[in-house]
Amino acid sequence: MFRYSATKRILSHLDQEPVVSNLGPTSDELWHASDRDRNFYTYGSMGLCSSIALGMALSCDEKVISLDGDGSILMNLGTIATIGREAPSNLIVVVWDNEQWAQTGHQKSHTAFGTDLEMVAKSNGLEKSFTVSDEEELDSVLMQALSEEGPWFIVAKIQDEPYLPVAPVQPEHTLHRFRQTFVTEPDRVG
Amino acid sequence: MTWAQTIVDALKENEISLIAYVPDSSIHQVTKLVDADEYFHLVSATREEEALGIAAGAYAAGRNAAVFMQSSGFGNSINAIAGLAIPSRIPIPIFINLRGEHGEFNIAQVTMGRSTRPILDVLGVPHYTIDSEDRLEEKIKGALKLCYASREPLALCMTPLLHGGKNV
Repeated sequence: MFRYSATKRILSHLDQEPVVSNLGPTSDELWHASDRDRNFYTYGSMGLCSSIALGMALSCDEKVISLDGDGSILMNLGTIATIGREAPSNLIVVVWDNEQWAQTGHQKSHTAFGTDLEMVAKSNGLEKSFTVSDEEELDSVLMQALSEEGPWFIVAKIQDEPYLPVAPVQPEHTLHRFRQTFVTEPDRVG
Repeated sequence: MTWAQTIVDALKENEISLIAYVPDSSIHQVTKLVDADEYFHLVSATREEEALGIAAGAYAAGRNAAVFMQSSGFGNSINAIAGLAIPSRIPIPIFINLRGEHGEFNIAQVTMGRSTRPILDVLGVPHYTIDSEDRLEEKIKGALKLCYASREPLALCMTPLLHGGKNV
């Protein structure tokens, strides 16, 4: 399974659901797939993608989708415990798992040596945890996740592919545009 | 009114209804009030940078959020401030219990406590030290107003002279 194609497939099922994307190529690919107002791209704070999505899920009624990565979530496994403790029914975490830190030179990550993120999630109370390895499987679990209560945790095994151009995104603009879809009054000046 | 109640009232006045935190024995005086009040959703994070991520997500979705931690944990949160809250312009009030101050008994707390405000300075994060109940309401409310007006993270550093510190 390739991430860009799978990202486009995920978006084809979405309407106004917020999506938070992990830093780097995951954010670039989300932008190229569709630059939605409800996309929250991250370009720093590695490891916090699903924590940001958790904060959103606790603050809105819609399903919130986190597009995280294996190397990133390994920096912050504690947030899986917090998701288990809070158990927001509207949170869907997708972890793109290529078993490596691809951007820094393809060093193998811990998931290449037996760390099973699905089991990590299950052991933290996220019973709806699955590992998928092709787009059809991803589609099927995602359709369920969008219609049934969660939290959902989907480990999507992916292969290497060429990177797309870096998305021309400014964090301040991303935040403002995203937030304006939730808050009707403009930020007051003067 | 206790100092802790003054802070809780100021949070409500600013519609800050999600509090993400890592427990601390002094700040417990505030977080236990928050936990007992249905207005708030208190989220226990496993680590301080996680708490900042949760607060950032809440703000993005239209809900004001604050973070509580101690100074040792501030050290765990710096990249979340530098790489998320500042570039995205997310106003997050960060309440920090300053360890390593008057009456500190643990040598391991001293250096991070001493370094907290200089690091905030280097980050460009405005911060105010709260070391007494004198004009407390004015200080807290003014700081929160500034935080949202500037759309920047802002720190309130609370010392043992305010809260009594941690006893051995």
